[in-house]
Amino acid sequence: MALADDIARVLFTEVQIQDRIRTMAAQISRDYAATAPLLVSVLKGALYFMADLSRAITIPITVDFMAITSYGDETASTGAVRLIKDLDEKITERHVLLVEDIIDTGLTADYLLRTLRARDPASLNICTLLDKAARRIVDTLPIQYRGFEVPDEFVVGYGLDHRQLYRNLPFIGVLKPEVIAAAR
Amino acid sequence: MADRTDQGDAATTRPRFAHESEAEFARLLDFYGIRWEYEPRSFPLQRDDQGRVVESFNPDFYLPEIDLYIELTTLKQSLVTKKNRKLRRLRELYPNIRVKIFYGRDYRSLLLKYGLAKAAARTPSV
Repeated sequence: MALADDIARVLFTEVQIQDRIRTMAAQISRDYAATAPLLVSVLKGALYFMADLSRAITIPITVDFMAITSYGDETASTGAVRLIKDLDEKITERHVLLVEDIIDTGLTADYLLRTLRARDPASLNICTLLDKAARRIVDTLPIQYRGFEVPDEFVVGYGLDHRQLYRNLPFIGVLKPEVIAAAR
Repeated sequence: MADRTDQGDAATTRPRFAHESEAEFARLLDFYGIRWEYEPRSFPLQRDDQGRVVESFNPDFYLPEIDLYIELTTLKQSLVTKKNRKLRRLRELYPNIRVKIFYGRDYRSLLLKYGLAKAAARTPSV
């Protein structure tokens, strides 16, 4: 059975995603032309977005990665977010762009922003491929670049997972409800 | 009915929550370091001739750092309709108050996002 058989409908095709990323990359290249920004991505969901976005940006950039535990993770036993992987780069007085696959509640992004702000970057903004505003709790995030608005449905593909699967789909789609129900 | 004299956050005594869904939501906020208060304020919606409050709205959570009230509604549709009416009235009387309501479906999808399928299944449908 193919992975794509679990998808109820495709929201954004591979072509649509790449078109949008090129537009976002052009904006970032213009806005940060004089600054050589550091793109910080959060593993694992933003893996493909970071790879494609960074390659479409035409100005000098550096990249770095973070990983944190997520609520509900089997590894998240402490009751609080834990950094699994911190940045290798120092960000003090640097222009930092946090690259996210999706922002929905905003809780993860808010935590990351607080963590990064404490290190005194020159600027700190967010670039997200998907924005699920309907489920936002923290609605004060500095989202500078936004790829697509998505409905409040369970979306997978292009880095987004359900139980660690479906990340490698080249498109973004809505998971069939029966697939989610079967996992309960 | 929750003990509304209690307020709580990650650093203080936890309140007695009216529903498990509220306790789960508090754990979620704690996990990401978001300060919260439980039912800290009652908003009068209607008074009788003597000025006594006969109807009020008590949002479940207040997040002081983002100045946002949150109401979790995992109830039956008939009760949701009543709550929606109260919410509209709240917004009329207190236009500067920021309040967000999570319905049963919203809350279940939120739990599913975090892989909490069993908790989502326990949340009643609306």
